[in-house]
Amino acid sequence: MVETKKLLGRLLDEKKLSYCQDCGSCTGSCPMAKVLPDKYNPRKLLQRVTQDLPKLLESDELWLCAWCYKCTERCPSGIQPTEIFLLTRNLASKEGHIPRNPKAIMRQIMKSGRSVQVPDDFDDWRGEYGLPPIGVTISQSALDEQRKIFGKANLRRLES
Amino acid sequence: MSEYLLYPGCVASVRELGYEMAMRAVFKALGASLKERDDFNCCMPACLVHSVDYSKGLALTSRNLAIAEEEDLPLLTLCSSCFGNLSRAKYLLDNNEDLKADVNKSLGKVGRSYSGKAKVQHVVTALYEDYKPEVLMNISVSPLHGLKAAPFYGCHLFLPQRYAKFDDADFPEKLGHLIEMTGAESVDYHEKSSCCIGCGSFFGDVSEEASLKLAELILDDVKKAGADAIVATCPFCMMQLEVGQMKLKEAKGKEYGLPVFHYVDILGLSMGLKPGELGLDLRRIDSSKLLERLGRSN
Repeated sequence: MVETKKLLGRLLDEKKLSYCQDCGSCTGSCPMAKVLPDKYNPRKLLQRVTQDLPKLLESDELWLCAWCYKCTERCPSGIQPTEIFLLTRNLASKEGHIPRNPKAIMRQIMKSGRSVQVPDDFDDWRGEYGLPPIGVTISQSALDEQRKIFGKANLRRLES
Repeated sequence: MSEYLLYPGCVASVRELGYEMAMRAVFKALGASLKERDDFNCCMPACLVHSVDYSKGLALTSRNLAIAEEEDLPLLTLCSSCFGNLSRAKYLLDNNEDLKADVNKSLGKVGRSYSGKAKVQHVVTALYEDYKPEVLMNISVSPLHGLKAAPFYGCHLFLPQRYAKFDDADFPEKLGHLIEMTGAESVDYHEKSSCCIGCGSFFGDVSEEASLKLAELILDDVKKAGADAIVATCPFCMMQLEVGQMKLKEAKGKEYGLPVFHYVDILGLSMGLKPGELGLDLRRIDSSKLLERLGRSN
């Protein structure tokens, strides 16, 4: 069993977070920090992963990374902030801290196999443009497989 | 003739139907064969599902890779986020035996497995790598002279390079090169490899605000560069830049009037396909005046 904490530990340790030169390349590259400078700062967020974890797990800021990997690409010390934030969110999720919007989209994914809702008569519309039907959900067997892989504990985390 | 296993993804097949039409029309005209299935699951955006459970999230993404291995065909994704997610899963599993074993344990529960031989292509990477730019130039029998197109690269075709290496991380140029194969001019501008914050827009009011601010920066820059239209690679970027224009018109009265094409749209036009065949009338930003100027009509 690969544990989140171990994976996170490895990312934090192997790449030696202490090698962070505080240069701010991550923040300088971050599109979210560019437009929300007062609300999001990956350089500071990374420090909080090691120094202020319990409080960070309860914060919505942890969920603002838009997952573009520009910081990961540019970090001169080879630190991977994007993957570190994803793994840190795993810890937050296990403590029940998943913000409302992401939770709703994930429920949608687990219910239909798609991240966006397909209206009932959508295939008629697709048909008018010569596109094949896609169904309101992916096939039932695929949905069953999806739920089985994700597991009951994770599905419950999305319900509350 | 190339054969692919079509991975339609959620955004293209539900929110950007016009792009799906164009993509199908162009690949048909290129003689490609597309196999389809009804049992792929969502690519499971890492910023969502992998954020809840890294290993199980990877297993869900990899279920699609396992199906591609069963079919022994390369996946062809329409969306750069799908491409990025699937490429990421492949990289992480191919480089971490423990993680791969763990994911295969989850996949085993539903009778599937991932070995590592799955291949992932995106519409644009397939055109560049499988068909080659010079071939595309030769089939562009009706070149789009006079079109100034601003390439918008997005993130997941080449970021981070360890997952996908389609182009240079800081100075991407392949989309611009592909655009020139159609006879159009590729216009350079500062924000061409910006993120659209598509994934970030999942996260409520704060990220809505961020998306719109970023869209404004990108659109202002495109306008300043004198482009007639944006040419993107990803339906999510397309949607963000189209909806961004609509919202900025409402909120600030700003009128950009910039059609947002996908690369296959302009490739299709240069191959002589009609705007209607490419679903161009299904887009959120009207391109009819521009098409008229370029002498393209149904």
